[in-house]
Amino acid sequence: MSSTYDQLVTLLTERFEVSPEDITPDTTFEDLEMDSLFMVELLLVVQSEMGVRISEDSATPADTVARAAELIDAQTAAAGS
Amino acid sequence: MSGGAVAVTGLGLVTAAGIGVQDSWKGVCGGRSTAARTPVLEGMPVDIACSVPAYDPNDLLGRRSTMKYDRFVQFALIAAIEAVADSGLDPRAWDGARVGVVLGCGMGGLRSYDEQHRRMRESGPEGVSPLLIPLMIPNMASGHLGMWFGARGPNFVTATACASGATALGSALDLLRRDVCDVVIAGGTEAGILPLVATGFARMGALSTRRLDDPERASRPFDTDRDGFVMGEGAGILVLERAEHARARGARVRAGLAGYGASADAHHATAPDPEGRGVALAVTAALADAGVAPDEVDHVNAHGTSTPLNDAAEAASIRRLLGDAPVVTSAKGVVGHTLGAAGAIEAALTVLAIEERTVPPTANLTAPDPAIEIDIVRDQPRTHHSRVAVSNSFGFGGQNAVLVFTEGA
Repeated sequence: MSSTYDQLVTLLTERFEVSPEDITPDTTFEDLEMDSLFMVELLLVVQSEMGVRISEDSATPADTVARAAELIDAQTAAAGS
Repeated sequence: MSGGAVAVTGLGLVTAAGIGVQDSWKGVCGGRSTAARTPVLEGMPVDIACSVPAYDPNDLLGRRSTMKYDRFVQFALIAAIEAVADSGLDPRAWDGARVGVVLGCGMGGLRSYDEQHRRMRESGPEGVSPLLIPLMIPNMASGHLGMWFGARGPNFVTATACASGATALGSALDLLRRDVCDVVIAGGTEAGILPLVATGFARMGALSTRRLDDPERASRPFDTDRDGFVMGEGAGILVLERAEHARARGARVRAGLAGYGASADAHHATAPDPEGRGVALAVTAALADAGVAPDEVDHVNAHGTSTPLNDAAEAASIRRLLGDAPVVTSAKGVVGHTLGAAGAIEAALTVLAIEERTVPPTANLTAPDPAIEIDIVRDQPRTHHSRVAVSNSFGFGGQNAVLVFTEGA
């Protein structure tokens, strides 16, 4: 997977107390017991740690970790273009 | 009035003396104050407090518990898990609609408020966590207990400042007598040891300042040289149950909660009525509710904050209303003043005093105030058979809550 995915896994592990072995690309945030409020908190942490701003309504608890990594990559590319 | 007797069938405690009933009781009976210099209060005019020993929230409450639960909710959950286990009730099997939760809390999640306020100042509104409100609001304490145990009956938080925990137990008693619930998980919780809160109490002259270099001697209820309270934190939870319900399942009854009386001084925001009229109303109402005469009371767990005004007024009230026979103690010398949790922690200690036939000593009572003419236990725990015990709680705002516990229900 991408380095963004790896960064996201690290962030989930260190800041959201998820065990790395519980995360696969297909794992949803719901699987990790993260509700919509935790998603907003996650996006705040992504912004402060990775410098990427994702709007609050673009990611939901039903999304997979891989999908969130794609969103971050897309946003990074858009911001850079 | 009474829809039947109410039994205490479970206890849980989180105090500066320890996490758990056993360690807390041992610490309180040891009579040694837990007050110490507190890193979180460094640089503040009063930097001493009685703090709960370090623990790992994730270990006790599961993953992300620090993100889900402010410290005051963590205390309530930890104490409630102990109390429910102690009661022998099985939350997977009970009828949740008949189980209520009533907790006292004076302040709520000020730690979260503080942290998010800092984030807003640093990063603007977009830096504020969406978790702030669910972390902060005081009623989350009872809300989370309801979720944890599947208790779907009445669920609320009472706020009468330092009487909140006792008010919660009294309100729970009403729910059981009215037969709204079979079981109520009741008590109080507080985690207010923060720079702003401690400084607020210090600025109003409520805290002890004479012994900042000797914190262990600072909280000294009823002592001549007392000069204010020392902040504490923690939670006390009691499982209250209709005695009939407890008997039917063969539960161990640790004591009875026989009466509750509440009143207001209607006098001053923070000073007690010097004539003690509000306290007299609450004590009298509690005894009448329990159906006991004043001379039947053989133990009083005093509010005993270690402030000059409270202790003098309370001692005079005890003497006038109950005589000089009751054996009196205050736990605040050991665990400090836990504000909204105090009434519940002290209620649990009152139950233990009845059960163990032991009244713990009041810490640091080396020179009892000569104006105080009641029998206060000092130095060592005293062996004493309490059949009827009163627990006093008085809050800023002039709110008074008095509970009566009995041996057996």
